[in-house]
Amino acid sequence: MSVVDHNAIALSPRISEADVADYIALLKPRVMSLVIFTALVGLMIAPGHVHPVLAFTSILCIAVGAGASGALNMAYEGDIDALMSRTANRPIPRGRITQGEALAFGVTLAFFSVMTLGILVNWFAGALLAFTIFFYVVIYTMMLKRWTAQNIVIGGAAGALPPVVAWAAATGSLSMEPLLLFLIIFFWTPPHFWALALFRSDDYARAGVPMLPVVAGPDATRLQILLYTVVLVAVAFAPWPLGYFDAVYGVTSLVLGAGMLALAVNVYRHRTGSQALRATRKLFAFSIFYLFALFATLLLEVVAHAVAPSIW
Amino acid sequence: MDDKQKPDGIVLTEAQKKSRRERSIAIALALGVLVVLFFAVTMVKGPAVLVRPM
Repeated sequence: MSVVDHNAIALSPRISEADVADYIALLKPRVMSLVIFTALVGLMIAPGHVHPVLAFTSILCIAVGAGASGALNMAYEGDIDALMSRTANRPIPRGRITQGEALAFGVTLAFFSVMTLGILVNWFAGALLAFTIFFYVVIYTMMLKRWTAQNIVIGGAAGALPPVVAWAAATGSLSMEPLLLFLIIFFWTPPHFWALALFRSDDYARAGVPMLPVVAGPDATRLQILLYTVVLVAVAFAPWPLGYFDAVYGVTSLVLGAGMLALAVNVYRHRTGSQALRATRKLFAFSIFYLFALFATLLLEVVAHAVAPSIW
Repeated sequence: MDDKQKPDGIVLTEAQKKSRRERSIAIALALGVLVVLFFAVTMVKGPAVLVRPM
């Protein structure tokens, strides 16, 4: 008796038609762009001179590591991505790439990004990048996301680590400044993602993801958004009085913080109808601008110091 | 062997051939970037390339 199933052999194997664009989509390019930007700021504000080639290598490795995290996240979440309108067009739910292919792609990129950063820059930064990928994929994606409404609060640490990794790449150590950048992104994450979750709560409920609006309801979420925004504005302002960043940064953080707070109050006050939807969408959009503008100010300060140190 | 005879095994469609070619070029470019990166950092660091602090 033959142990070979001839019917199985007769079936034609799946041959991928995935193109480069599908694999780029696996890297979550929009998330990656924010990671590159925040890492660039972490690298630029670090003391001492970093050779441009090493700076480029560090940012490239951090970006590829972030992309690897995105690919591994999609490999694991193919089932729930198919259920949500926001993610249904990703390569795995569309059938362009299998979960196995995404897993292989993600593991390969994670390995090369960590090893390259370790070998070419320093192993402390390499280890931090490995921890960031591990935290996002295992702690957030595999454990927290489907288990607790605090998923994005704790998981937010992974998104907050890139400037820390970049600082470590530049200096080989850590100090207060990168930890302040970490805290800013960490406290920025809940208002940002809960604003998104408020107007996508049907999606998350359908997929069984226990986001705060699904589990605790929209009103409790609005209160949490407001509280976290208050903490965020305070944390973002603190580096100025503590003497870590300049007055330009301090004033900018106050102005941007006032905008963020006003929009969070708006979300808290408007709870029904189109006004509520508009308020959450506005907060979500502004939160992206808020983080970008805050970090851009730090970047401009560094550039200004370098170009005209006597004036600045 | 008859030249007109169809080859055995898997025959790729044009779309599959195109996407495979694209992927192969992307992998080649990525490897090229990696080689250039290692070369450039070696040039920048000089003998210090062997010093890799923990």
